[in-house]
Amino acid sequence: MLPILQIGPLALQTPGLILLFGLWFGLTLAEKLAQAEKKVDPNTIYNLALTGLLAGIVGARLFYVARFPDIFIRDPLSLFSPNTAMLDTIGGFVTGGLAALIYGQRKNLPLWLTMDAFTPALSVLLIAFGLAHFASGDAFGMPARLPWSVRLWGEYRHPTQLYETLLAAAVALIVWPRRGVMQPAGIRFLFFIALSAFARILVESFRADSALIFGSLRTAQAVAWIIMAISLGLASTRLRQPRDGHSMEN
Amino acid sequence: MRLNAQNFKWIQLVLLLLAAAWIAGTTLFTEPVEGGRVPSPRAGFPAPDFTLTTLKGDTVSLSDYRGKVVLLNFWAAWCPPCKAEMPAFEALQQAYQGEDLVILAVNTTYQDDLSAAKEFATSNGLTFPILLDLDGKVSNDYQILAMPGSFFIDRDGIIQEVIVGGPMSETLIQTQVRNLLAEVP
Repeated sequence: MLPILQIGPLALQTPGLILLFGLWFGLTLAEKLAQAEKKVDPNTIYNLALTGLLAGIVGARLFYVARFPDIFIRDPLSLFSPNTAMLDTIGGFVTGGLAALIYGQRKNLPLWLTMDAFTPALSVLLIAFGLAHFASGDAFGMPARLPWSVRLWGEYRHPTQLYETLLAAAVALIVWPRRGVMQPAGIRFLFFIALSAFARILVESFRADSALIFGSLRTAQAVAWIIMAISLGLASTRLRQPRDGHSMEN
Repeated sequence: MRLNAQNFKWIQLVLLLLAAAWIAGTTLFTEPVEGGRVPSPRAGFPAPDFTLTTLKGDTVSLSDYRGKVVLLNFWAAWCPPCKAEMPAFEALQQAYQGEDLVILAVNTTYQDDLSAAKEFATSNGLTFPILLDLDGKVSNDYQILAMPGSFFIDRDGIIQEVIVGGPMSETLIQTQVRNLLAEVP
């Protein structure tokens, strides 16, 4: 566990660095794969991600400011503060998602092919999430004395962050684009979602920080099962489409 | 096997049943631990409790302030950003007098100069409690690896925000505090 990397006077948040690296590496790989597949313009991968990301950051700050206008009026320069504590997460997701949607509509991007093109980036990002959790000590496991247990928060525990990372790597391996494999558009993305949800169901059983509903049912498992059912259902309808991703776009 | 809509139907069914069986099995046969029970110095977790002595010689425990919003800060007299944010804490202390806000500034005395810390607190007219971490245990519990470090703790004793490094702007401090004070006790 290494939550903070101290370089001289700089205190860098290791989990944030891992996520940033994961995002950059994932997008670079996705761009290269899109170039090879020639289904989606590789530039749109970066542009779409950048649009969503920038709009998300701006939206997150504006939503936060809207909650405390009198404080920000006294110190307007704080609007540009790099501190991530002054961001509204939900506001950021809403704004980023809307901006990406508008960008996609304006550029007439094919939804499923674009999601497929993004899947490698999402796969890498999910691996980075596992490593970021390991660095911060979040998403920690239940106490267990196993040869592979890690000592965390005063006890030997299941290394759930490493389970999460390994399963994310396995999912990435399964859904990674392969030459000569033709699938209807959207299948890669939907399989990625379904398998990632399945992985979450498995890992959640060993976590010690689960939120519970109906007594002892882990909320994340229930939500992941529903997501898995929806994405498999959608995949089933997509599989009835022709195999050539070029010819069957929505 | 070539994947088509027909054989996928079976794969889909098997996967969903397998997942449902796993959920049912682990729900019935393992003891789930609801998040938030383990005190830990991170957002979303109960703040680890401690008892320390203040510069004035009083004894203070974090748990004494359950029901109040607590701004817990770790600082040292040798740390310029720590000292830079102290006036903002004092301004906050004055502005929110009579409200459910407590500022606790833990001096990392085990690696600081106590007389320098005393001198700083006196010359800057700090009125909130300065606690002395003489053996470093509390700093260790809060995993203070870089300074300053601040924890915004809600009325239930749950850490809602952790800020590493500084100095924090007054805007950041005030918005975080007001956010927590606005929560219904």
